[in-house]
Amino acid sequence: MTRTPAREAAVHPSRVPRLVVVGNPENRRVELFRAAARDWPAPVEVLPWRALAAGAVTLPAGALVRVDSPGEDAEVDRLLRGAEAPAEHGEIVGLAAWYDGFGAALLRLGDAVRDAGATLLNDPYEILVMFDKRACHARLGRAGVPVPPALLPAPRDYGELRELMGAAGWHRVFVKPAHGSSASGILALRAAAGRVLATTSVERASDGRLFNSLRVRAVRDEREIAAIVDRLAPDGLHVERWFPKAGLAGRVIDLRVLVVAGTVTHVVVRASRTPLTNLHLGNVRGDLAALRAVMGAEAYAQALATCVRAADGFPNSLHAGVDLMVGTGWRRHAVAEVNAFGDLLPGLLDERGRDSYAAELAAVRDGWPARRPAAAAERAEPAERSARVERVA
Amino acid sequence: MTVNEHVTVFAGLPVVEFGADVPVPPDPGAVAWRLSAEYDTTPDEFSALVGEFLAAVDPGAVTALIVGQWGQAYETPAPVELLADLAPSLTGLTALFLGEMTFEECEISWIRQGDVTPLLDAYPRLEVLRVRGSEGLLLEPVRHTALRELAFESGGLPGAVARAVGECDLPALEHLELWLGTPDYGGDTVVEDLAPILSGTRLPALRELGLRDAQIADEVAAALAEAPVVARLDTLDLSLGALSDAGAAALLDGQPLTHLRRLDLHHHYVGTELAERFARELNGVTIDLSERCEATDFGGRYVAVAE
Repeated sequence: MTRTPAREAAVHPSRVPRLVVVGNPENRRVELFRAAARDWPAPVEVLPWRALAAGAVTLPAGALVRVDSPGEDAEVDRLLRGAEAPAEHGEIVGLAAWYDGFGAALLRLGDAVRDAGATLLNDPYEILVMFDKRACHARLGRAGVPVPPALLPAPRDYGELRELMGAAGWHRVFVKPAHGSSASGILALRAAAGRVLATTSVERASDGRLFNSLRVRAVRDEREIAAIVDRLAPDGLHVERWFPKAGLAGRVIDLRVLVVAGTVTHVVVRASRTPLTNLHLGNVRGDLAALRAVMGAEAYAQALATCVRAADGFPNSLHAGVDLMVGTGWRRHAVAEVNAFGDLLPGLLDERGRDSYAAELAAVRDGWPARRPAAAAERAEPAERSARVERVA
Repeated sequence: MTVNEHVTVFAGLPVVEFGADVPVPPDPGAVAWRLSAEYDTTPDEFSALVGEFLAAVDPGAVTALIVGQWGQAYETPAPVELLADLAPSLTGLTALFLGEMTFEECEISWIRQGDVTPLLDAYPRLEVLRVRGSEGLLLEPVRHTALRELAFESGGLPGAVARAVGECDLPALEHLELWLGTPDYGGDTVVEDLAPILSGTRLPALRELGLRDAQIADEVAAALAEAPVVARLDTLDLSLGALSDAGAAALLDGQPLTHLRRLDLHHHYVGTELAERFARELNGVTIDLSERCEATDFGGRYVAVAE
């Protein structure tokens, strides 16, 4: 065994960089990360998203910088959207403006990182790709990662959505806001033989505003569905053909697979009675051992290998949370999403007894990013980067 | 509730999904073969899959077949003709499940069926026929001497189908299962449509009767309370429906049910008082009263499987 950096640190404390978490200080993501980092031999600090969302920031010299979610804070959301008033609780509003503000903030962070000679554990450009479902889908597709086909170009309203579905011969699709997170604004839509049905957690207020709900409902009124889609579309849509997911123990399932430094560390089965599997929608964690038994070792290994390849598309990010759908026959699989902040998996331990954050910190102790796989490090995409700079600048 | 997962056992056999890379067991008749197109395939590609299947196995040895997604099942009717035409090859087929799809593939009320009578005509030795989905479903009254088990799973069973079942002559039928569903999804079956079944005249071998997923469960229960067929049953299944105290009281106060082996009422709206009466008065009968549901503030009661 080589000496771990932590052991070295005991001898040379000055060599261990400070950890800075960009997050919302009261959020449990930050709390759980700090708990996992309690043995880190240097200070662990929080750079509040409110500061970064509001303007320029500075970082301690040589720090390691972890970027976590700006979510669940109305003021941060307001600042990122550049809006006068905060959104109401659960309101789905200004997703494109939010994305632009989020990008600008991440670029400011990049500046601060350069100024401080700091090191990022998640690359701002890669985060931005992961927060653009269209760009993420395209990147995965180019890398040969199985993804459901998408409607291209993305429809600009409900009428165009139905036209494009008709032209493609698709009757079942997932309509997603391009910049939404978790299940926000997603509709599982079927349309055939004069009938329409959408399953969604979106509620529409009488004044037309949209809200996330914890209740998944079926909408059969086409005017209601159209009103929701038309309200979401100006901020960008990403529409994929519905990939039918396997069922287990009476529930539909998919997998959240956390890939840390090129290795799968944590897998969660998300089990739902609706097409939307996000755990905050009253869904439950399913039985991974049962799933592996039904799926078979080979298909399971292939599925995880796909997740690693998906995460390989983001070589400068320490971790990526890949949502993997397994087909109804257990043989095919496809990636639904790659989540930049997909490592909030409370209480879930890997084979070595580590939670997601501990596994990430261990990878850093082992030398990530300097020792990240060479193949991954080479996968820089300069053209895409400069395009992204223009987009977010 | 919706149909969320595939069956893993059918006609007593473990299900194996056919695929080009799936090894064929030494006895192809020892498993139930599932033929299902991928979600993005067309009906033409489904018939190609059937062709591959028939080339890979000895068709005459196949005993049980499950047809899942045949491609765009929400607009293309089930491949009844294709399956009927295979009868000269599938000489050993005794069990068929048509439309075994989960809601992720196609909601039960969106599955397009058609006239399934040709299947009974083409396979006189068929013992098990299970059909999921009722959009466009038709059945002509037939006489079939081998059929032991017949099931129509739906979110709304057309009354015409219920009547046709009653007019069939099925001397070997032991298990009949109708998911009546709700009028919202085409379930316009009324109790009168069930009269021939409840009389049992043409169903001399019937042992298990399921009138499931019924919005009209209370009316069905009231009819069962004096239906001649009940005396012959060992299993009565009113599960998945909207059964309330009215239906439960009718069952308890009607003809004796103590001869039953099993009474399945799971997913119901029966109060605790009557539920306790079942336990007390039907001592010796296995009763499933799980999944008690609460009516809405406006008295709304729902079946388990609708859309």
